[in-house]
Amino acid sequence: MNGQGDSAVIRASGITKRFGEVVAVDDVSFEVRRGETYGLLGPNGAGKTTTMRMVSGLSPLSAGELVVAGIDVSLQGREVRHVLGVVTQQDGLDTDLNARDNLIVYGFIAGLSRAQAAQRADAVLMYFDLTDKANDEIDSLSGGMKRRLAIARAFMTRPQVIVLDEPTTGLDPQGRNRVWQELETMKQAGVTILMSTHYMDEASALCDRLAIMHHGQILAEGAPDELVNLHAGREVAQVRMSNGARGDVMERIDEAGFDYRDAGAVIMVWAPSGGRPDLYGLDGVRVSYRPSNLEDVFLSVAGRGLTDE
Amino acid sequence: MMAVAQSTYVGGIRPRSIAGIWFRHALVLRRTWLPSLTWYFVEPFVILIAIGVGIGTLVDDIDGLPYARFVTPGVIAGSAMFHAIFECSWGSFFRIQKGVYETALTAPVSTRELAMGDISWAMSRAVITAFCIGTVAAILGWIDSPSGVGVLVAAALTGIQFGALGLIFAALSPNVHILSLSFTVVASPLYFFSGAFFPISVLPDWAEPIAWATPLTPSVHLARGFVTGSLEMSHLFAALYVLGMSAALIPIASALLHRRLVK
Repeated sequence: MNGQGDSAVIRASGITKRFGEVVAVDDVSFEVRRGETYGLLGPNGAGKTTTMRMVSGLSPLSAGELVVAGIDVSLQGREVRHVLGVVTQQDGLDTDLNARDNLIVYGFIAGLSRAQAAQRADAVLMYFDLTDKANDEIDSLSGGMKRRLAIARAFMTRPQVIVLDEPTTGLDPQGRNRVWQELETMKQAGVTILMSTHYMDEASALCDRLAIMHHGQILAEGAPDELVNLHAGREVAQVRMSNGARGDVMERIDEAGFDYRDAGAVIMVWAPSGGRPDLYGLDGVRVSYRPSNLEDVFLSVAGRGLTDE
Repeated sequence: MMAVAQSTYVGGIRPRSIAGIWFRHALVLRRTWLPSLTWYFVEPFVILIAIGVGIGTLVDDIDGLPYARFVTPGVIAGSAMFHAIFECSWGSFFRIQKGVYETALTAPVSTRELAMGDISWAMSRAVITAFCIGTVAAILGWIDSPSGVGVLVAAALTGIQFGALGLIFAALSPNVHILSLSFTVVASPLYFFSGAFFPISVLPDWAEPIAWATPLTPSVHLARGFVTGSLEMSHLFAALYVLGMSAALIPIASALLHRRLVK
């Protein structure tokens, strides 16, 4: 499909980024459809930020093709930023200006007239419920408010797509909730969102579809539920055992051909095709079951945890 | 209402980017004008009075000029230099550190325009301080030639040159300790060996060409030409020196900023 009828707002084909010998993003392909929230889920260093910087025309591609809203990023990188609202990981707020002026200056730099920028700033502040903070110094705002202001700034130009790098990293639960609400409201308004996160609960709460990234590659892609069902089954068995029982437990898990991860004191077992490991009759073994989640998917496809160092 | 129009470009440059960065700096000045006055006005004024009146009473005329009148263009050019280099070294360094420039780049802005925006503001700052000091000097009668208005031109050129130099420091410095070399090793020594406070001709023969080659000397010479109203070929050469130096430094600053910000 091409042109007007195309529902993909972002189309990345084989995009690659090398920094000298290091391949930060390795032959990655994905599509983001109009109106959807698409997530890149992976640990730090997975290549999420670099991918998003490439999408924003802020980091030249080493290879591959990237089209955003019909614009070839390799050819017209900065034109892309007319249709994107980009929120970088560091809020990048200007502490020499108050909250409202941060928005106005950005709007003016982005191409609004000063009058338009002022008008739009007030509307955006209201939309993000920050009107009473308009004249506050940036340093007096909480982390959550700063984050919302940074998102509000990206909203100044009525972008078709918002690119959000780690929207809630470093926020307290309250701030995090507010940002989630904000993103949900934007989504309702029809804005396409490309976001990265290393929080699996955030990914499952917000994303329509997501790509699981590790070492610069996409290991799996799909709707959160689909991914969980496909790679981790419905539930995970968490097995605790005495040292003596360890050998027997491992043997039975192996026999059944289940995927497992040995975390020392606990062995986690998941069965994408269904079924439960048969560990009955073994002494000193306790098994509990919990619903599978994206963390399990990541374990399954990457062979390590999202938060492991 | 569709808010954002297409960008207009002039020779690959988006003027709005430069105007936007300049606007940002002007807004900051409007917010901080009162403390900033000390920078623009009080400090150079104190230097001018202390040296012009204080030391001036002990010193004979230089090249037929009373010392205060000799030193006025030097203080103006020096202040223009300090403002420009400060804006683009310390100012820009912290804007890089705090992600302010990363944010600007999320708009359709290029690093070259970012550099040009900063340098244009450095130029503006240099002109503002020159205007402040020049006005006082004129009231005191230390500038009385109509061509004295030309110090604003000398200050503008000085601002561009040292803005570019400052930005090179901002883009290269990994930390503030290296950054501070822009003052300790560059700006301060230049100030005292630029002919601002004594004529270059009193230096030993071997040092004279070196002093002339350093970048503030032509600025001081040019400013002095305007202030005394005796412009000659050497002042044209001085202006060309500053312009040429700026033309060489701006692309370097812009490339280094690009290397720092775009990976």
